[in-house]
Amino acid sequence: MALRRDSVVLGVLLAPVTIFLGVFFLVPLLIIAVFSFLTPGLYGGVEWSFYHWNYGRIFGWADGIEEIYEPVYLQILFRSLAFGVLTVALCLVLCYPVAFWVARLPERARLFFLFLVALPFFSSLIVRLYAWLLILKPSGVLNETLIALHIIREPIELLYTPAAVVLGMVYVMVPFMFLPLYAAIDNLDRSLVEASMDLGANRRQTFLKVILPQTIPGIIGGSVIVFIPSVGNFVVPDVLGGAKGLMVGNLVEQQFLSARNWPFGSALSMLIMSVVLAVLLLATARARKAGGQA
Amino acid sequence: MRKAIGLALGLALLGTAADAEGKLALYNWGDYINPLILKKFSDETGIEVSLDTYSSNEEMLAKIQAGATGYDIIFPSVHMHDIMMKLGLLEKTDINQSPGFENIDPATFRSQEDPKSEYCLPYAFGTVGIFYNEDITGPITGWADFFNIPEKTGAKITLLDDMREVMAIGLFMTGHSINSTDPEEIQEATDYILSKKPAVSAFTYESPTLLLSNDIAAAHFFVGGHVYYVDKPNIKYVIPKEGATLYQEDMCMLKTAPDKAEAKRFMEFYLRPEIAALNVDQQFNGSANVPARELVADYIRNDPTITLPPETLKRVQTFVDLGKALKLYDRAWNTIRTAQ
Repeated sequence: MALRRDSVVLGVLLAPVTIFLGVFFLVPLLIIAVFSFLTPGLYGGVEWSFYHWNYGRIFGWADGIEEIYEPVYLQILFRSLAFGVLTVALCLVLCYPVAFWVARLPERARLFFLFLVALPFFSSLIVRLYAWLLILKPSGVLNETLIALHIIREPIELLYTPAAVVLGMVYVMVPFMFLPLYAAIDNLDRSLVEASMDLGANRRQTFLKVILPQTIPGIIGGSVIVFIPSVGNFVVPDVLGGAKGLMVGNLVEQQFLSARNWPFGSALSMLIMSVVLAVLLLATARARKAGGQA
Repeated sequence: MRKAIGLALGLALLGTAADAEGKLALYNWGDYINPLILKKFSDETGIEVSLDTYSSNEEMLAKIQAGATGYDIIFPSVHMHDIMMKLGLLEKTDINQSPGFENIDPATFRSQEDPKSEYCLPYAFGTVGIFYNEDITGPITGWADFFNIPEKTGAKITLLDDMREVMAIGLFMTGHSINSTDPEEIQEATDYILSKKPAVSAFTYESPTLLLSNDIAAAHFFVGGHVYYVDKPNIKYVIPKEGATLYQEDMCMLKTAPDKAEAKRFMEFYLRPEIAALNVDQQFNGSANVPARELVADYIRNDPTITLPPETLKRVQTFVDLGKALKLYDRAWNTIRTAQ
């Protein structure tokens, strides 16, 4: 009897989130999956007949007349993945030591610092990226300051370079890496660190065998949260990269707008999603393994 | 970028465009109508006007196709006007029967599907050319000069982040129509742009800020860019001698418009020369309204890059819908943007 009531309560509690995810996540996903196998309409939209060339264009079995296979799409995907990996690596290197430092601050200072990390979310991403444009341009704040300090004579080329894109991505993603890392580091069992030092392990051994395994879940969590949006980001490459290097996110946007090819855009989206899903599965497998060890 | 802003704004405002007495919902390009016109219309008629914006024809079409309702009037470019006619999305307004329509220049009936303006009212037109800082670049007459700027002066240049506008430059320079559907011609145009890509700093709509701060010396931009440089005599605009595109937008009523009477009233309001002139003064566009051309500020009327003389009109080209051949341009554009 009690069991039945529990499951009713559970059902009632879970229903909203299930319905929400079903309507706003699964249904759109299904639409994209179905569209990716349909014929593009001449003026956007789809025609309801099966069409596999959308994938053929990407992977190499296009007919060569209506649809042409071009390796450029996979190149763009790999380029975006590489940018994603680089963004994750830089965010990790930047945030890991800082998270340790913050975790040791007195409580008030710590809360203030966490507030600072969250502060950028109060303004729009686009406004913040235009601020970076003003900082990085040849006559911008950064170059002017360096020239005034006699560190450089001529402005450095920053704006509209791949370096500016990476900088912008790292800037946008740092909070997403910091927060999970901080949570993991804050929960670190410090008595284990002391025990390790007492028992004769050196600093390096302590870090690798005691600290790192305990913070792995934070590292993996942060990396996944940073990696996924980095791969699909198209705003940063447009604003700071001058739209000169196409990313897979730009490509998808272009298919739905200027190219009016919804099915091809859907196929590209499915491709990104599969790659991201593969990364996620890999990450959870690693996290489980790491969890088992600890 | 702008697309993202426009999209978000459009989505946010979508719900607010309600169907009620005395309302009118416009869906226009960003910064493409003088707010004073809307105020004057509201003051005179008591009709409440709302305005949502988009930043590309495709964005607008995608939203209307996806079933966005509540909008009365849209402002498609001529080739999109044709597409929307083919898709049956536009309402026949008989605006060409309205008093005051005789003010409209028949040369602006550029739509192939609506050649007598039975559906839409020609709204505004202008060229896409080059803004340049003469202090740095010296005189610029066309695209060849433009692409030489970086090598000659060490200064930077930008192109628009627009597939067809950029491809049009390549097609002009290789002697083809901007509406070519011949794969070889498109390939030649692509090769031309690729050969110039190293000279181009960015594909962007944000050139005015950079041109004003001397971070670039020249930019591919719409004539409407004049608005940023009114007190900068050293920044000049040229319609390139090798060829330039002429854009035109038309004012159209949607078949799904909830306020058809109000929409027609607005279109008729816009036939008045003094109203159309308000737009020219703020937008630096050409007006389809012939008497309005005499009512604008002197420096606009006397500027041959804004008030286009007939010989200029002869050498500019307007985009038409390419149908399936659009794919060729999409592929070319991907190649151009990926090339390192």
